[in-house]
Amino acid sequence: MSIIALAGNPNSGKSSVFNQLTGLRQKVANFPGVTVEKKSGKLLLHGGIEATLIDLPGAYSLYPNSQDEQVVLNVLTNPADENYPDAVVYIADVTNLEKHFLLLTQIIDLGFPCLLALNMSDLAEKEGIRADVKRLTDFLRIPVIPISGRKGTNIHMLKEGIAVLLNDRTKADKQATLYQPVQSEQKVIDKVKGVLAVENTYQALLMAHHFKKLPFLAKEAREQIELIVRQAGFQDIRLQIAETMARYGTFTPVLRQTISKNGDKTTTSDRLDATLTHPYFAPLIFFAIMFLVFQAIFAWAEYPMNWIEQGFAWASDFIKNVMPAGWFTNLLTDGVLSGLGGILVFVPQIAILFFLIAILEEVGYMARAVFIFDKIMQQFGLNGRSVVALISGGACAIPAIMSTRTIGNWKERLITILVTPLISCSARIPVYAVLIGFVVPSKTVAGLFNLQGLAFMGLYLLGILAALFSAYIFKKILRSEERSFLMLQLPPYRLPVWKNVWHTIYEKVGTFVWEAGKVILLISMVLWVLASYGPPAKMELAEKTAAEKARQENLGETETQDLIAAHRIEASYAGHLGKLIEPAIRPLGFDWKIGIALVTSFAAREVFVGTMATLYSIGSSDEESTIHDKLSEARRDGTGELVYTPATALSLLIFYVFAMQCMSTLAVVKRETGGWKWAIVQFAYMSAMAYLGSLFVYQTMG
Amino acid sequence: MVSPISALKQGHAGKISSFTDEQIAGKLMTMGVLPGSFVKLVRVAPFKGGYYLKVDGMVMVVREKEASTIVLEVQ
Repeated sequence: MSIIALAGNPNSGKSSVFNQLTGLRQKVANFPGVTVEKKSGKLLLHGGIEATLIDLPGAYSLYPNSQDEQVVLNVLTNPADENYPDAVVYIADVTNLEKHFLLLTQIIDLGFPCLLALNMSDLAEKEGIRADVKRLTDFLRIPVIPISGRKGTNIHMLKEGIAVLLNDRTKADKQATLYQPVQSEQKVIDKVKGVLAVENTYQALLMAHHFKKLPFLAKEAREQIELIVRQAGFQDIRLQIAETMARYGTFTPVLRQTISKNGDKTTTSDRLDATLTHPYFAPLIFFAIMFLVFQAIFAWAEYPMNWIEQGFAWASDFIKNVMPAGWFTNLLTDGVLSGLGGILVFVPQIAILFFLIAILEEVGYMARAVFIFDKIMQQFGLNGRSVVALISGGACAIPAIMSTRTIGNWKERLITILVTPLISCSARIPVYAVLIGFVVPSKTVAGLFNLQGLAFMGLYLLGILAALFSAYIFKKILRSEERSFLMLQLPPYRLPVWKNVWHTIYEKVGTFVWEAGKVILLISMVLWVLASYGPPAKMELAEKTAAEKARQENLGETETQDLIAAHRIEASYAGHLGKLIEPAIRPLGFDWKIGIALVTSFAAREVFVGTMATLYSIGSSDEESTIHDKLSEARRDGTGELVYTPATALSLLIFYVFAMQCMSTLAVVKRETGGWKWAIVQFAYMSAMAYLGSLFVYQTMG
Repeated sequence: MVSPISALKQGHAGKISSFTDEQIAGKLMTMGVLPGSFVKLVRVAPFKGGYYLKVDGMVMVVREKEASTIVLEVQ
């Protein structure tokens, strides 16, 4: 099947066009060897022709400044690449055409059959910008089609154009050549063509420039090019600058003639930015927006979360009723279903957060946030772009960590990945909710603030401070030769394209369910085994003791079952594990029951609540208030003191703020950093912080 | 008068006459920031944070380090 590549600058509106062309027939994967997202989709053309459409990452030129741009270079200069296109559709923003022509002329010179789509033609018309399509066609000698990705205007013409491009590939030979290499370049080009099987002149030149970074070149080829370049005294940066100037020199005069503009007046965007990027108001506005975002998440997510919980409870009861009692039924309900429920219950919060972030991204506000926070983030070894990841971390660290791919500098990206899980995510909320009552009473102060609400905020704040503090330490420890820079184009403010917003939600929720899902599901089954089985003799004894006790106390059916469950988990392998680690966690104020909960919540934090419910014989209830009441009566074995004193509860809260109790996140970190090393570092430093933090709190308060 | 952008006051504008760092120049030029481009320094974030520039109608932000390598010819 033919491959069509969609190329263009960042902010060219490429993703809107991609969504228009492919609809929901999209696949998301990675480009080989790197964590740059590759979106591809099926394209149905006239006459039943099918083609694969690949959305190349946004790039400014074939002289890469980021991983995204490197991928574009890798794909377009390697005919053996699986993504090497048969034709290129170039998307350019017609409201600012000049900036989009550098990459376009480079791609044309690589010899691909090309088509130029002048995007945002609807906005251009409004702004009084007119492009002379005929003049552009004559100049480039490729088809030029004005379209609007936002409104879907002329998408059918674009499809027809692509079909023509595929049917008649000889047209590529008639395309204009837009850069004539100078003599010193030509010599190198001829030699590169001589030793490698390269036909295209510009491809040979790019190889001479980038041979060190092109992954597809064999070691031998690399050495040959290096020799050629060294002998010729090839000055790459000078020649790159000269080439860029020459290209601008070729197309700028033509564009000045073909584009008529209505002067350079102050735009609405300028007026908005005067307030939204104001030196002093900007941070205030940003925090006000974030406050509203998180308010919205909690307000809107509550009902769908309840529905999901009730749905799973119902399904679990249903299975228990229709299937014969036994280990398989239990595995299905208590292992698989509770694992799945534990994942899906977070979907509403994550979907709402990414809905709001996608809107902020679409209208152009996120780019401003990068500008506002770049300086302060740099102090902590982070990048302005880290702000997006840290905010997303408030829902779930997994999509947050994946969003760091836009950070070009490796050290800044790594630090962002390492500290993001310290931001309190949705899974910590149920744990905070159960424990916070032991530390502060539910009282209103100053007639406005609920003390527990304030404490909740305090825990969030603690997470943020811990993230910044750790980032600062990592900044001091990690070495990097790579230069860090910021050159970011701020797109004009625009109304969001809802199709793009839905796509983002669909994608982010999809990655969460899939990435978190597979790990949590697996581990919850393992944990089910650990919590349901133990040394047979002890398990039997535990059951008998519980049943005996229930008879003596004249307990009802449900209470008896709950009591048996409590005794069983104590005798199980998980119970043994809890008792095994008790000496290590006693200085933190934790008993073996908390130990069991720490073990079971290793897969996912929220499991803590469920485990506590089982341990205190109220497994059939999952009301947080019921669990709170039961915990408040809990006494230590031996001494009979209350377990949940403010000191223990606070110590446990601190532990949950800091600890890395999410296997799915570790798996994603491993993938994004290319090995276990950083995942292990992250697990180790966060565990150490959790242990020491709890130790400090309990020893000073207890 | 020629001056690097980092030494300008807010609201000042001019044409780029040269760059003082080839590496940074190469990167800037791929984004369409060229000798001869008309640049206006619109605002600077507190503590010399980001520099908010308007380059031939395109809004872009750079750090002080980059801003100091772009030399403008100011009228």
